[in-house]
Amino acid sequence: MSERLAGLAAAPGVAIAAPWVYRPAVTGAGEGASLEEAASAASRDLELLAGRLRNDGRADEAAIFDAQALMATDEELIGLAAARVAGGEDAASAMGAAGEAVAATFEALDDELLSARAADVRDVAARIVRHVVGADAPSLDRRSIVVAVDLAPSVTVELDRDLLAGIALEGGSRTSHAAILARALAIPAVVGVPGLLERAATATEVAIDGGAGLVVLDPDEAARDSLAGAVQAAEAARRADSAYRDRPLATSDGHRVLCAANVAEPGEAAAAFADGAEGIGLFRTEFAFAGRGTPPSEEEQAAAYESVLRAAGDAPVVVRLADIGGDKPLPYLPIDPEANPFLGVRAIRLADRYPELFTTQVRAILRASERTGRPASIMAPMVADVADVAFVRELVREACAAVPNAPAPRVGIMVEIPSAVMLADQLAEMIDFMSIGTNDLTQYLLAVDRTNPAVAERQDPVHPAVLRAIARVVDAARATSRGCEVAVCGEMAGDPTGAALLVGLGVDELSMGPASFGSVKRAVAARSHDELRSLAQRAMTLRSAAEVRTLVGEA
Amino acid sequence: MARAEIDLRNPSGLHARPAATFVRAAGGYASDVRVTNLTRDPSKSASAKSVIGVMGLGVARGHRVRLEADGTDAEVAVASLVELIAGGLGEALDDG
Repeated sequence: MSERLAGLAAAPGVAIAAPWVYRPAVTGAGEGASLEEAASAASRDLELLAGRLRNDGRADEAAIFDAQALMATDEELIGLAAARVAGGEDAASAMGAAGEAVAATFEALDDELLSARAADVRDVAARIVRHVVGADAPSLDRRSIVVAVDLAPSVTVELDRDLLAGIALEGGSRTSHAAILARALAIPAVVGVPGLLERAATATEVAIDGGAGLVVLDPDEAARDSLAGAVQAAEAARRADSAYRDRPLATSDGHRVLCAANVAEPGEAAAAFADGAEGIGLFRTEFAFAGRGTPPSEEEQAAAYESVLRAAGDAPVVVRLADIGGDKPLPYLPIDPEANPFLGVRAIRLADRYPELFTTQVRAILRASERTGRPASIMAPMVADVADVAFVRELVREACAAVPNAPAPRVGIMVEIPSAVMLADQLAEMIDFMSIGTNDLTQYLLAVDRTNPAVAERQDPVHPAVLRAIARVVDAARATSRGCEVAVCGEMAGDPTGAALLVGLGVDELSMGPASFGSVKRAVAARSHDELRSLAQRAMTLRSAAEVRTLVGEA
Repeated sequence: MARAEIDLRNPSGLHARPAATFVRAAGGYASDVRVTNLTRDPSKSASAKSVIGVMGLGVARGHRVRLEADGTDAEVAVASLVELIAGGLGEALDDG
């Protein structure tokens, strides 16, 4: 008998799968760890999750885990637990009690945002307890809909995305972290379903409609039919995407484009290659500089870069120089408060005030290159004109003199400032490659602040103005006598519509979060190179991003 | 010992992200740094190096906080943390 339960629509989409009832209580014990070891292990987990999300272009969601990583080693939280352990309590229950106590103080504040963070503290405490008792991280063994009272963001992102069909929660609101994250990751979700856990306990199948806020337990023929069309389409797309994951990135007539990965932490490189990356198109290096009180030494940086060059083997690795600015100030690089940090002293512009930041970094990259015998590609962010390129070339020349045994690096720039697009012919003559950062290029070209949700709808990189800018860059690169490659490393490269247009515009490489490999390869393989070329040409004549998306969807 | 007071202007108060930015910066100094939310409860202070302590002060927009540092780099710590708060801790200020 099918049973319908009404809840709140949290994230659109439809799914039918077996229920996987999740209760955060920790059971089963293996190898244990001390409280301090467990806390730093939990903190590392959370930092990794933050890095992964940031790399997928989800900086807002990543911030949730950044804060949790700090909580995991927080002197107040750990101090409370340690005091209980000193009083004779075992580490696991002491940690649980400390988490509860802190969560209760957050809930007592008459501040909605802060009391909602109580769930984050409980999640951190549960994660530390898991490390204390050596329990396994929760995992799915088949395609499932997660049924729980509440689902911590850190649990959501750790579950295998291919097996996580949907989320149904008894608690939560549309603004809870669970709901925000489900929307960001496009996982269908219904929250605020009273009595869900008790009723779902005996169900063998669950259907959810995240757009309607509906949960159906053991759906019968009629309920199934009404959901089936949408479910099948979504399932088919998912299966088709994963079937493409191991194929090359190529058009239907075999025109190849390099399929590269964006990574934000050295640890992600090996996983990217396992997922089929043919290179690292964007190795963000901000991880080396964030979350510390003093700048990283040359040796520290060299070790981190070396590990990525080793993971890459013969594949190319593009290391981007630190893109630091007034939007995320660092204690050891004070920047005067700026009204517009994205137009301020950011990235290589910091070199005027802190030249050693970049001389040290370039030397560290060359040291890593020397030790592995692999040439590195060095990429400068926020290049505006020839003077900026000349500065970078000089920086590299000096570092090469200091590390004479390193293989000669390739030198390139990010194209994200409109002036670099206008002057692409001049710049291309001086460098080996250009990588278009479509997120910032769109922000600067269309004058839409990436951090302002009120203009978020205007921030679509398939806008004809952005397409024309990219075409101009490709033309300039083709016209050089010495050869200059063009890559794209913004979110557009990981969007199937955007990727198809980019291949049509003639770029040589697409670099994206590895999660997008399947859907991008499928979209590009659907058409011949000529078809994509004429599609891109037509798209540039349209009047809006919406018209472009309609064209690509219909053609 | 160095001390300063400043009003918080972040639209959603000192919630998780700006609190994390603040705590990371405070962690870079050797001095002990304490924070007090003068608007909510002048008798309660927290370590500026504890994100839980700082969030637990419930600093909302318009609240006045006091920073007190004790140690070798106390002056620098207070001055740069005040500057960080004035600059919005990485967030856009609606009146900035």
